[in-house]
Amino acid sequence: MARSASSPVEPDPPDRKKARRRSTAAKRSEDQTDLLGERSVELSRFYGGKIETVPKVPVRSLEDFALWYTPGVAAVSRAIQADPDRAFELTGRWNTIAIVTDGSRVLGLGEIGPEAALPVMEGKALLFKVLGGVDAIPIPIRVKSPEEFIATVEAMAPAFGGINLEDIASPKCFGILEKLSKRLPIPVWHDDQLGTAAATVAGLLNALELTHRSVHHVRTVLLGAGAANLVTARLLLALGHPAHQLTLVDQKGVLHADREDLDELELHNPWKYRIALATNGGGRTGDLKAALEGADVLVAASTPNPDTVRREHVRAMAKDPIVFALANPVPEIWPEVAHEAGAAIVATGRSDFPNQVNNSLIFPAVFRGVLDARARSIPDEVVLAAAKELARGAALKGLSSHHLLPTMEELEVFPQIAAAVGDTTVRLGIARRKLSHDEFLERARTLMGRPAQLVRALARARLTPPMPRAGPRRRRST
Amino acid sequence: MSGDGKGGNRPSGPAEKSSPPIHLRPARDDDLSALIPLLLRLKRLNEEFDPLLKVRDDAEQQARQILKADLTNPKAIVLAAEGVGADRDKVVGFVRAHIRERAFYAPEHEGVILDIYLLPLYRRRGVGEHVLGEITNALKAKGAGIVTAEFPAQNEIAGRFYTKRGFRPITAVQARSL
Repeated sequence: MARSASSPVEPDPPDRKKARRRSTAAKRSEDQTDLLGERSVELSRFYGGKIETVPKVPVRSLEDFALWYTPGVAAVSRAIQADPDRAFELTGRWNTIAIVTDGSRVLGLGEIGPEAALPVMEGKALLFKVLGGVDAIPIPIRVKSPEEFIATVEAMAPAFGGINLEDIASPKCFGILEKLSKRLPIPVWHDDQLGTAAATVAGLLNALELTHRSVHHVRTVLLGAGAANLVTARLLLALGHPAHQLTLVDQKGVLHADREDLDELELHNPWKYRIALATNGGGRTGDLKAALEGADVLVAASTPNPDTVRREHVRAMAKDPIVFALANPVPEIWPEVAHEAGAAIVATGRSDFPNQVNNSLIFPAVFRGVLDARARSIPDEVVLAAAKELARGAALKGLSSHHLLPTMEELEVFPQIAAAVGDTTVRLGIARRKLSHDEFLERARTLMGRPAQLVRALARARLTPPMPRAGPRRRRST
Repeated sequence: MSGDGKGGNRPSGPAEKSSPPIHLRPARDDDLSALIPLLLRLKRLNEEFDPLLKVRDDAEQQARQILKADLTNPKAIVLAAEGVGADRDKVVGFVRAHIRERAFYAPEHEGVILDIYLLPLYRRRGVGEHVLGEITNALKAKGAGIVTAEFPAQNEIAGRFYTKRGFRPITAVQARSL
């Protein structure tokens, strides 16, 4: 989730009760993380990584290789040579994406390099397969510049139906996504920008609904101006949020057009510069507190520190404010504290609190949708379609201040989002395959359901060894 | 130069529509306090392009002296850019130029554009073009037969801005630290 920027606020004066609560919650979270970490290393060693390739064709005897490989395969190659789009029909390209990272901003770990990024990319590939039925290949690359990154991905694009960019530092992630989206004939996605922003917008739409507000009249403050919030701002503006009521705040305070660092931003972060000009601080200057006076919504995607947003900040907001504190693993304010200070609705990036804003609810379905439509790109209209469908998915089950977004257990929402994505690509004229809504939905249900069957079958046949108990380390016997 | 001609960075929000254009007039003594920070912003922007353009600690004092001297120098022109509408009395940018004598070349009088700066909200929409037109006319009125512009060599945006409007490099200045 949110992994960006730091905040302009000083820590609270000492407050024993709060400090105690914070330390208990933080300690619990740290202990849990340590435990999971140890176990993850143990299991990674046992299984030797998380994914492998498996043939999807029968191999009855060695003679079948004459079909799957030479000489038979030459005819398949010639067909694709004559019409390159046939690669989407005659090879696995229709369902295969690359997960590409330079390892420049991995989780909360920072620049750890491509090798160390691999386990994270393998994990993402696992999520893609299990949740979206998408074959994703982890590809951490060693590159020195954004230009080299772009050239490398461009060079590998012929093998893939889509590209998922992962864990790239801001602001270079913006330029890389923008240029690749323009140059490649396949969809390119950067989850830290688009996935997080789409899930955030989905949660916001429902929170506005619950508190009887309209996106056209609301006043919103975004704390943190990194990958996620800059795109959240862009999407909110596209939804009709008034620009003069949208305020971004970063470590230097309110982001407005007269700020001293604007020229520097124009050169080094034109995306942030553009949002600064478009919103002009929502007519405000000063710090977070000044920005929040009378605001309806706060979306914090900034620093994992529960004192980043304080009670008095929430108290300064309008009646029944909406507070999204999305930093992981520790939100900018504990939900309990935000509620005590008057927040009507609180969301975080964590699964152990209600209302998890989780990009895993978005990316598998978006890729299912664009792959099934063989789409050429993923414009913001598609991202918004996914966000709206996710919001609708929660509403169908009944909205409440504790059920703002579907949980990962509400599986039915995934194919619905995929179908909404597919429909939108058809409407925008960027789909190579124009299926009907029902066809998209049916296909998504089938393809998204298959991996679970596969995983079960492999386990039943003991081809996937059962998970060893935690404790004494064991080696896989192969 | 921080005016027009920066392809690709056009803001897409409502700021573009609602931002007013500008109005240029000769700068006065009482503009000094508004002009100094703008001149400093420009010099800091130049520093972003090249470490050899590192801004001095006493730059503010320098800015005050230089601008003050220019206001009474017959061979200098400083135009202040004001907003219009609600921003009518706000100085949102400026342009500064000198008439220089050319000892060996003709035409003899050269109008040198030294600084152009506009606050971000007042860029684009032909504002840079407008400023260049006004300062060129003012230099012509002072006898200039050729107009030149100085800016950091690394500032390709400024380079493209002038090239598009018929300028080309005539003198190169190279530097190394000692």
